[in-house]
Amino acid sequence: MPGWLTIAKWELMRSKLKFDARSIIMLIISLILVIAASYAASQTGMSMNQKIYLVAFSQPDVQPIIQTDQRFDYMLVDRYEATVYYEYGADMAIIGNNVYLGDTRKAASAGDALENTFKEYREIVLSSYNDINNTHPVWVTVHDLERPQDFQLAGATNTLDELSRGYNRTAGLDNVPGGREATSGTGSVRTGSSTISPEDIEALDAMQGKTFFERQTIATPSNFNPPVPFTAILYAFLFIFPIYFVSQFYSTSLMDERTNRKGELVLIAPLKSRDVVIGKTVPYLVITMAIQAAITLYILKMPSTLADVERVILILAAILPVILLFFALSFYSAILSRSFKELTFASVFLSVVISGYLFFPAMFANIHAISSISPITLIVRLIEGESVPMNTYLFSTLPFYLVAGAVYAFGTSIFREEDLFTQKSIGSKIIDCFEMFLSYRYGSVFFLSIIFIPVVYMTQLMLIVMLFNLPVPYSILAMIILSALAEEIVKSIGIYTLFKRKISEITFKNAIRLSILSGAGFFVGEKAVAVLTLAPIASSAFGTVMTMGALLLVPLLLHVTTIIISSLVMYWKGPDAYKYAVVAATIFHTIYNMTILRGLLF
Amino acid sequence: MKTVAKKEFKDLLTEKTFILAIIIQLFIASFSTFLVIGLTSFYDPTALGNVDFEGVNIGVVGTHDDELYNILIENNVHTYLYNDFIPAYGDFFDRKIDAIIVTPLGTAEGTDLLNVDIYLPKSEIKATVISLQLKESLEEYEQSVRDVRTQRLPGYSPIEFNIIKRGVHASSTFFEFVYVALLPLLVFTPAFISGGLIIDFITEEYERKTMDLLLASPASLLEIISGKAILAILIVPLQSFVWMLLLSMNRISISHSLQILLIVTLIASVLVFSSTIIAVFFKDRGVAQLLYSLMLIFLFMSSYLFTNSPLNLVTRLSIDSITAIESWTWTGIYLLLALFLYLATMLVIKKDPHNI
Repeated sequence: MPGWLTIAKWELMRSKLKFDARSIIMLIISLILVIAASYAASQTGMSMNQKIYLVAFSQPDVQPIIQTDQRFDYMLVDRYEATVYYEYGADMAIIGNNVYLGDTRKAASAGDALENTFKEYREIVLSSYNDINNTHPVWVTVHDLERPQDFQLAGATNTLDELSRGYNRTAGLDNVPGGREATSGTGSVRTGSSTISPEDIEALDAMQGKTFFERQTIATPSNFNPPVPFTAILYAFLFIFPIYFVSQFYSTSLMDERTNRKGELVLIAPLKSRDVVIGKTVPYLVITMAIQAAITLYILKMPSTLADVERVILILAAILPVILLFFALSFYSAILSRSFKELTFASVFLSVVISGYLFFPAMFANIHAISSISPITLIVRLIEGESVPMNTYLFSTLPFYLVAGAVYAFGTSIFREEDLFTQKSIGSKIIDCFEMFLSYRYGSVFFLSIIFIPVVYMTQLMLIVMLFNLPVPYSILAMIILSALAEEIVKSIGIYTLFKRKISEITFKNAIRLSILSGAGFFVGEKAVAVLTLAPIASSAFGTVMTMGALLLVPLLLHVTTIIISSLVMYWKGPDAYKYAVVAATIFHTIYNMTILRGLLF
Repeated sequence: MKTVAKKEFKDLLTEKTFILAIIIQLFIASFSTFLVIGLTSFYDPTALGNVDFEGVNIGVVGTHDDELYNILIENNVHTYLYNDFIPAYGDFFDRKIDAIIVTPLGTAEGTDLLNVDIYLPKSEIKATVISLQLKESLEEYEQSVRDVRTQRLPGYSPIEFNIIKRGVHASSTFFEFVYVALLPLLVFTPAFISGGLIIDFITEEYERKTMDLLLASPASLLEIISGKAILAILIVPLQSFVWMLLLSMNRISISHSLQILLIVTLIASVLVFSSTIIAVFFKDRGVAQLLYSLMLIFLFMSSYLFTNSPLNLVTRLSIDSITAIESWTWTGIYLLLALFLYLATMLVIKKDPHNI
């Protein structure tokens, strides 16, 4: 039996012990409560906006209209009192056919809300007639048409953009119902929609119910909504919540081993630390995947055809890297933190960051190409029945796989007594990882830089998400500075480790040699990433910042120069001046990038 | 009790975890502003300055006398008229126009359903903008057709109200997002965090076996745990206060801020006492945290169900939509709940077998 399997079995046994009958009963009770409350909540408007506006009126016939909306609190007063509604603290008054608003912001927004309530009430009344041709005479069908992307920001069109302009012009017509026939010259003018409108009210209700989970394509004008994909966030919650819970158990279990040196026995056993880590991870991974599979089946219903099965598998394939990243980071923070408190904060912090990375781009699924950086977008698309091409899958998941892999590798390398059971500072534990890596036979700053590429890449994508809504010149400016900083840190951290831990002597020759190695490594990795995955966003301005420079030599020179700056600062001032070294290199890097991108900025 | 609280406070500061907690909240806040900006741009396109709306051109496939076409022109939508779909598609592909509308064949006087086909550019933010622009015209068109057709319905009288607008413009979506979602979430986040924090405070002592050491000191279990709980509760209003300050700096005015802080503190006590009971009862961090999270979701979901749930109460107070009697009644109810849980906590600790 392989070593990791033994550990996995232990782990399962142990967690069984932890859940005694008492806690299992409590968990089941609270789960039932949660499900009941969520069900009850989903029957309401799912908003805590009860009674936020007060409206005064004198005609009782308005009352049923107002009562359809929980936002309104009302007071039935006589006609004179209604005219002085503001004295009673009301936001507006309905007198006759006129609605008078107060002069506050709240009153203005109450007026806006009331307008919608009237509209909705009208829909309710009209729907009660079973005569769709007269009550809902107009139907809107929305079709999505593909065309070459054109980012407003990108002043510079590079080769990749040119490539996408060679887009097959007639291919898009496949999506147009009847479009093909029209091109082939059947002379069908004004190819209407082939979609059949729902014939009765029940079908209309079914439509409206469906729009919550399915992309709306046909609706009456009043129900016609812009593609704001809030459903995407719902999916993200459904998929992410279980991961968050399980990863908490996972990190607690690791921390358990560390407190009171419980895990020492495992380390003494004739097992590689790799086996221990795998063994401790696999059970949690399997459990999470099982939960995710259940969720997928719940959303998609039981698959009946082969295509459905394929979809289920693809969704699981999209969620796997997310789970791995969550686990990798919980694993690493469980090793780094010195107490449960630290662990809680670290895991909450990381969850917030990763969730942000996952959620916000997914909000723009169906709207913007940027959204495909999040695997959740893939899931949304798969659920909506769209296909996801291989390169999109790679584009959004590869960084997750690579970062998770790197974090696990670093974490495993310090999965040893002196790092697990001593009160070392977090910083020195992190440096330990690099020291371990650099003292391997093939370890060198060259490869260290390459390994960091996905980390930098994800940080930069995260920055895009966060800076996306700053006004344009500032967002690009902030992006340039912050991505330069990220790049400079990872390039120089290896050299810092070597100098600080006295693995190589601090000489001028060494500083230059290591700088060239590290800079070249970063350059190689960066170009590899650009070629592999950056195509989908390369034409946006943000993409340009990341992959800048079609000329190959200039960026190489830049990477080497900036790292030489930081290693020379360390050579003159000693490794403790690392902070200043990075700042100096960042400044230089930023200035370079600004000169290249000045066309975009000014 | 005081000394325990002091010790925990010192620990909290030295471990820098508290600072991390603040950073987390800042993160959430920055995400929220991201959301606010995102939402306003969806619902109020003019708020998004840097997208050029003038540049949106729409191709209409139809004839000059189409009612929908005329409504679009009246609403100042930039339109180009085509008599066939194919040339419109060609222009769409070459980015001369950004959407195509195929007007329906029937008329309002007829009896057939009228189908409007809209072709939008896939995965472009313009699609959202265009949908918003078109919605108004489409609704107008629907209304004009309905004016003709609803006369055929027996006993139907349309509701007509003029909403007389004053100078103030506000979209209800934005207003409600700020006061219904953002503000309550921000002020209660510290309370949610404190509930989790107290579990760590307590289970850590058990798992590191330091509880016995603490018990050997003159402090009793009750004192030790109360000290921890008091600290966890007291840091909540401080953080919430900072949030409210930040919001008001962003010109979001908040009424009754003191009463809101009081409610937040009461809810923090409810959460902290509940998780204290859970932690003392189960002593295992994983189990306790899981139960706490489930409880939190349960409470959150339940607050959708009734008016004056803590979140709703904060919303109503902040925009001055509640009478003093009603708000203080509910504050009293939450005070009673907190007191009840405090007594329950004392009982659980006294009954705890670890208590010597």
